Amino acid sequence: MNKVLLLAEILTVASALVVGFHPNILYASVFLLFTFCGVAVMFLYAGADFLAGAQIIIYVGGVTILILFAIMLTQWLYKIKLADLRNKMILPAILSVAVAVFLYRALHQMVATLPLQTPEALEKFTSTPKTALMGHALLGSYLLPFEAITILLLGAMVGAVWLARPE
Amino acid sequence: MNHLMQFSSSLQGYLAVGAMLFSLGIFCVLTRKNAIGILLGIELILNAAAINFVAFSKFRTGLIDGQIVALFIMLIAAAEAAVALAVILRFYRLKQTIDADEASIMRN
Repeated sequence: MNKVLLLAEILTVASALVVGFHPNILYASVFLLFTFCGVAVMFLYAGADFLAGAQIIIYVGGVTILILFAIMLTQWLYKIKLADLRNKMILPAILSVAVAVFLYRALHQMVATLPLQTPEALEKFTSTPKTALMGHALLGSYLLPFEAITILLLGAMVGAVWLARPE
Repeated sequence: MNHLMQFSSSLQGYLAVGAMLFSLGIFCVLTRKNAIGILLGIELILNAAAINFVAFSKFRTGLIDGQIVALFIMLIAAAEAAVALAVILRFYRLKQTIDADEASIMRN
C-alpha cells in the first residue's frame, strides 16, 4: 500500500528532473505527462479521489496534449531544431536548490508545532468518497468562486480563439 | 526502506515532493529560452502548490476545502495554458521563432 505511494513520489520527482534538465523540449513535455500521473497517484493516496481523476482528465488529457500540439505546430513543420538553447545555468540552480531547502525547512518547522489528525481520522478521511462532498461544497459555500471561474474559463477560451485567429 | 515508506506517506513526504517540484519548476522557468519550456515550468509550480493544498487538507484539517482550492488551481492552469499557447502561436507567426528573448516589443 505504502509501496505504491513511494514509487509514485519517486516517479514524480524523477520525471520532474527530466522536465527541468532535458535539452529537448519534446522529451521534456512527454516526461511532464509522467509527472502529472505520479501527482494523480499521490492525490489518490491523500484521499482526493475526484481530484486524481480531474488531474488525469485536465492535465494528462488536456494540457500536455495541447503543449505537444503547440510544439509540433511551431517547430516540426519548419524543421527548426528542437534543442533548447540554455541561458546560464549555475545561478538558477543555486537559487532553486536554496528555494527547495528553505521551503522544506520552513514547512517542516511549522508542521512540527501544529496539531495533526490522528491515524484513525486519517484512515476515515482517506476512505470517504469525495465527489458528492465536493459537488455540495462547490454549489454551496464555494458558489461565488465557482461562478467566477466559469467566467474566467469562458474569457480565456474566447481570448485564445481571438489571439490565434488567422490574419 | 521501511523508514522511507513511512516518510513517503506522512505530511513531510508530501511537502518534500511539493518543494522539489516547485524548485524544479523555478529552475525550468529561469533557464529555458523556449517559451513552451517556460510554460512547462509554470505547470510544475502550479502542481506543487496543489500537492501542498491537498496534503494539508488531509493531514491538518480533515476537511475538503484544500481539495476545492486544488481544483481551482487546475482550472486556472488549464485556462492559462490555452491563452499562453495561443500567444505563442501568434508570436511564432510574427517572428518565426518561439525564443522568449526575441519577445522584446510590446506592440506590433
